[in-house]
Amino acid sequence: MAGTLTQTPPHGVPWSRRLMRPAKGAAGILLFLAAWQISVPLVGLEPYFYPGPADVWAAFVDLMRKGILPVYTVDSLSRYGAGVGIGIVAGVFFGVLIGLNAFASKLLSPTINFLFAIVEVAWIPIFVIWWGYGYKTILIALTYVVFFPVLYNTLIGVRTVPQPLINAVRALGGTRLQVLTNVILPAALPGIITGLRVGAGFAFRGLIFAEIVAAKTGLGYLIFEGAQSHQTARTIVGMISVGAIWLLIDQFYLKPIERATIERWGLVTDAEQRA
Amino acid sequence: MKLSNAIGLLPFAAALTAWAILPLYVDYPSYMLPPLPDVWTHLLEALADGTLAGHVANSLGRLALGFAVGTGIAIPLGIAIALNRHVADTLKPLLTFLQSIAGIAWVPLAIIWFGIGIGSVVFVIANTIFFATLYNTVIGVQAIPQALHRAVRSLGGKGLSLASVLILPGALVQLIVGFRTAMAYGWRALVAAEMIAGTNGLGYMTIEAVQWYRTETVLLGMIAIGLIWLVMDRLIFEPIERVTVRRWGIVQR
Repeated sequence: MAGTLTQTPPHGVPWSRRLMRPAKGAAGILLFLAAWQISVPLVGLEPYFYPGPADVWAAFVDLMRKGILPVYTVDSLSRYGAGVGIGIVAGVFFGVLIGLNAFASKLLSPTINFLFAIVEVAWIPIFVIWWGYGYKTILIALTYVVFFPVLYNTLIGVRTVPQPLINAVRALGGTRLQVLTNVILPAALPGIITGLRVGAGFAFRGLIFAEIVAAKTGLGYLIFEGAQSHQTARTIVGMISVGAIWLLIDQFYLKPIERATIERWGLVTDAEQRA
Repeated sequence: MKLSNAIGLLPFAAALTAWAILPLYVDYPSYMLPPLPDVWTHLLEALADGTLAGHVANSLGRLALGFAVGTGIAIPLGIAIALNRHVADTLKPLLTFLQSIAGIAWVPLAIIWFGIGIGSVVFVIANTIFFATLYNTVIGVQAIPQALHRAVRSLGGKGLSLASVLILPGALVQLIVGFRTAMAYGWRALVAAEMIAGTNGLGYMTIEAVQWYRTETVLLGMIAIGLIWLVMDRLIFEPIERVTVRRWGIVQR
């Protein structure tokens, strides 16, 4: 209990301070928007060069009414979901397979380290040559970007399972399958989540880039095409959408998973919690 | 190297062998995967006439410029956020949102503002490096124990002397760890930005070759992009990080 006394409990923060913080944050954003809007007539440049918040709002309403923004958002998210999904499943599968087999591990580790080290954007040109501009290239690129961090971290997770734990379960009559599901997978889970987090971030950047280079729909395409056709307000709507979606993914999807895993299986041990 | 570790080289050998003998057995257009000797001769040519060196120099110069601009803004702002609660409360939500707009999404807007070429590319690199460094500056400065602040202040330190005696040295280790991450993101942003908005540099060289199906150049670009990053990370940033963390960091002997 000694540890908890030195920390300020969250309830101890006075309510006025707790209200002040979001209020100041909102003021910061409003000030930014106001400065932006006021600067538009002062700067006096062409709207395609320097659109104001009002132009962006008009573009947003227009894109919503024509149904372009919802369709592009769904396109982007389905590509992202498919690529990340395949990448995780394949990464975990091969990570466990390689991690459990000492020979496979020795045989493949240098290759995995090498491929993990190659910056993933460098692959996109050759993917374009092999599979053309379009959905296939984007999907393969995203899968690739997610696969290696997940594989790498799963492998580390599997390798760090203490052998006595495996021996204990085996001695108590556990089958190999039970060792896998009750010891190895839970032990590797924090590693898998780390890989997922790294991969999900790279994949989101990769998605936008791939859509700029190789797509005819999606938010990356909206950003690129808006600028190409001098509808810069559309570009900014695309950028804001991309930022908002990433914040939502991070806040409501990645962080809760991470928190749940670390609390359940991670570094916080029973002993620490009781102390 | 032990023999048992040498089996790790087998997949590389197998891949190179497959690359060498595949054209003999499978019929595919050579632009899909040019023969190994072609890539090799192309590498020698590009090295000999200096085109590769030129692209590499351009890319590295831009990375350095973007790094200078990005960290130059991020460090003072990061210190202000870490030391002043009002600044932090006001700016954090805005900066969090701007950070979540991936650097690459700025490229088309950067092209409108700065045109195709070095301006756009440096803007995007600086943007990416700015956010990575800002985050680490805030963490580094906040990690300085309050007692040290009081000690320096009670001895009369304020303003510049406070910054030079306490804040910069105190945050240095975290900053250097952060530089490594920032450069990793910066390098990715550089390559991606050059592919969309470049007029030279490694990313431009690679994507331009795709238009003409000069796959040797594409492969050369990929290898150069991967290799240069590996060399920078392992031979420059990792040693610096190791030395500083050991000298000033939490690792105590």
